Amino acid sequence: MSNSIVETKDLTKMYPGDILAVDRVSFTVDKGEIFGFLGPNGAGKTTTILMLITLLPPTSGSATLCDFDIVANQHDVRCCIGYVSQDTAVDDDLTGWENLALQAGFYHLSSKTANERIKEVLEMVDLTDRANEMVGHYSGGMRKRLDIASGLIHRPEILFLDEPTLGLDIQTRVKIWDYIEKLRREKDITIFVTTHYMDEADFLCDRIAIIDQGTIKAIGQPAKLKNDLGGDILQLEIGKSAQNQAKDIIQKLDDLPFVNNITQTNNTLLLYIRDGESSTPKIFSLLDKLGVPIEAMLLKKPSLDDVFLHFTGKDLRDETGNRWDSMMTRMKMRRVRR
Amino acid sequence: MKKFFSDTYWVFWREIKHLLRQRMRIFMTIFQPVIWLTLMGNVFSKVASVPGFPADSYLNYMAPGIVVMVTLFGGVFGGMTLIWDRRLGFLQKMVAAPISRTSIIFGKMLSIAAQCIFQVTIIFIIAMFMDVNFATGAGGFLIMIILASLLCLVFAGISLSLGAVTTSHETLIAAVNLLTLPLMFTSNAMMPTQMMPDWLSNIAKFNPVTYAVEPIRDLFLTGYDWSSIANAGLMLGVLTLALTSIAVYLFRKNLSL
Repeated sequence: MSNSIVETKDLTKMYPGDILAVDRVSFTVDKGEIFGFLGPNGAGKTTTILMLITLLPPTSGSATLCDFDIVANQHDVRCCIGYVSQDTAVDDDLTGWENLALQAGFYHLSSKTANERIKEVLEMVDLTDRANEMVGHYSGGMRKRLDIASGLIHRPEILFLDEPTLGLDIQTRVKIWDYIEKLRREKDITIFVTTHYMDEADFLCDRIAIIDQGTIKAIGQPAKLKNDLGGDILQLEIGKSAQNQAKDIIQKLDDLPFVNNITQTNNTLLLYIRDGESSTPKIFSLLDKLGVPIEAMLLKKPSLDDVFLHFTGKDLRDETGNRWDSMMTRMKMRRVRR
Repeated sequence: MKKFFSDTYWVFWREIKHLLRQRMRIFMTIFQPVIWLTLMGNVFSKVASVPGFPADSYLNYMAPGIVVMVTLFGGVFGGMTLIWDRRLGFLQKMVAAPISRTSIIFGKMLSIAAQCIFQVTIIFIIAMFMDVNFATGAGGFLIMIILASLLCLVFAGISLSLGAVTTSHETLIAAVNLLTLPLMFTSNAMMPTQMMPDWLSNIAKFNPVTYAVEPIRDLFLTGYDWSSIANAGLMLGVLTLALTSIAVYLFRKNLSL
């Protein structure tokens, strides 16, 4: 018995027209952890999930879920997973209870078991007293909660949450996070979540994989990934007059024992340094000695944003994806916000 | 196998729940045939006095035609729910569950047939209130229901096949328009084939709608005509089987459209 619930090896998806959506992705998810897939729109997160839940055949590579192969044992895989898509696929023209009854029917639960489970999952997401209302009258957050509840009805071993907070306001997002945390605390379940929100990944996940353009760039605990950057981040804007001697300056700074890494864009220097609070004054005095004017500075603890920037060379917040993706996202949001 | 029936039941259950919740739709389905029967029956009432017309009033002649027309329209929009389910992501949720893919098509077809049976019954009752002649009794009613259901399933099969390969409602609606009115007016639903020009009556002979109208009209006007009932039953049965298979095949093939 292995301790992992998901194992992928060189999982690849090529869409028609030679679009490489997922490129030789290998990772494992351990039982009981919250595993996050973090990346911009169009990075390949959803494609990976769709392959894992057997709805999309991989072009090459392999994966197992609960020790079942995703191609050879599709039925077994489907029985052991719960899937909550980013579409919030609840049926507006049924009540909350009916939505769950339908889902229970699709998982072949007996009507007695179904009734017990429906009560249980409704309780879990605090929708018990709204169960007999039409879902069309629910708010966006309630719909998402119902959707998560319906993914739990058959007590899956692993729950896939694809962008669970897309299009929700900040309070509702925090509430959804609470439910996910509660789920992990109270049930013996593994959660696989995709998101393009840094704070979400940071708050929720035990481990994250950073995915961009179909490949995994880094994988590990959020705290460790941040630590690995090499301490604190000091951002310096040096005066225009010093720009042509930048190379020299970087060389001198790099010689300091507490400076781990330096990158430069135009007149902005990004230094990864140990013990930022005590090191910064030393850097300042060195620059002063060299006669380099400092226009602005910022000292910060690294966030996942910085991790993302470090591994992909771009800022996740600026990433808009291509036109198609942003259109799809807008469509989905409109649907959620109704 | 048991699971297959259970899956089909739940798909069916959902569609019927939807239908029962849409009061306006139910009202329309009742109201529409009333308009057809009263308005068209009146407008064309003089047609019945043309020599060679096979019924003593146009209303009598047209009532079975309306039965078939409603069946046709009921069936032909059946693929719409498939397109909606796909667009809203509900289809994906269904197929992520360990359910039979075929049962999704079966459940939807059964619900469309159930809806047709409901509508045909309503029209029949209204027609009886309007003193439309019905030559046969309960047995004739049952045969009418069966033939109408089969015709409905034929068109539901066409519609679901289209719904399986497109994600746009507009495409389906355009196809429906392209299909229904010509089928309606090249059949004997509104006019007897004897009164059509030759070229049209030849087309009418091969139109599945004509096949269904013929025996149903006999049930209204004259009595049981077993050869035409068997003929229609066989023809529509084979078509239903073929189109259901096509719909299932296309649906399974284009699951991740």
